Amino acid sequence: MVDLAMHMMDIAQNSIRAEAKNIEISFIENNTENTLIFAVKDDGTGMSPETVAKLSDPFFTSRTTRKVGLGVPFLKMTCEQTDGKLEIKSEPGIGTEIRASYNTNHPDCIPLGDLAGYMILLLIGNPGINFKFLYQLDDEKFELSTAELAENGIDDLSSAEMSSAVKEFMNENLKELFGKREKESFLC
Amino acid sequence: MEKIKTLADLKRKQEAVKSQVNLRDRASRAENLVQVKVAMATCGIASGAKEVMEYFVEELDKRNIEAVITQTGCMGYCYAEPTVEVKLHDAEPIVFGYVDTKKANEIIERYIKTGELVDGIIPKNYETIN
Repeated sequence: MVDLAMHMMDIAQNSIRAEAKNIEISFIENNTENTLIFAVKDDGTGMSPETVAKLSDPFFTSRTTRKVGLGVPFLKMTCEQTDGKLEIKSEPGIGTEIRASYNTNHPDCIPLGDLAGYMILLLIGNPGINFKFLYQLDDEKFELSTAELAENGIDDLSSAEMSSAVKEFMNENLKELFGKREKESFLC
Repeated sequence: MEKIKTLADLKRKQEAVKSQVNLRDRASRAENLVQVKVAMATCGIASGAKEVMEYFVEELDKRNIEAVITQTGCMGYCYAEPTVEVKLHDAEPIVFGYVDTKKANEIIERYIKTGELVDGIIPKNYETIN
């Protein structure tokens, strides 16, 4: 995984596989303290404490098609290499929340990557799921959700024209948000 | 073209797109739809499934092929990622491996349009007696 957008797609896929109907993805960046918290919260099947304990083991997976599961171990690796940490809260029947914290002034911090591009693919590929995306930079934030789009009559992203329009919308707003950073960051 | 920056801009765009789409013939929708599933687990993402999926979204629309493009998890062919499963309405699903944009173009032009099989098929449906 070379950027956080890839992790976002990867971790969201776990939620989708856990039959989640609502997935909240958030990036909370504190520019003055140089921290970023990437979190994915879902209302999927959830996991027992025993399963959660095994998650960071690369040789643990719930799949039967292969014997390794690298998504969560990779995420743990990229946040721990910036002296951050990974926390997972999960309860069977309620859902899972996974939070990875990064120190953005650490040279090993990975960049954000194409958040808009991956977000659009999540929206196109999973029409039945409610996504909420949040990027918060200090006091400013940008939000996008399936519900909000639907309220404005935007419900069909399958056409290339519409998906690139939503992507442009996200990119323009994120660019404006990132322009408000007071100091440079390894994230961009 | 003006930039899309607010939800109102997006709404206008959607209305414009919808009016165009309605002009197209969508009569025999369900059964003629091509289903494309791009494997997007850790292995797929790491080997570039995003570019492939974006290519399918863009090109199938551009070439006027009605299709549903979705994501799927890992099918166990991590060595051959990015993998793409294509189901034509009258055929069994077929999984293609090592798909890049060049291969995706070949799949659209030859398999999806004419039904001709192309290289790189993973024998997913191969069954043995025992």
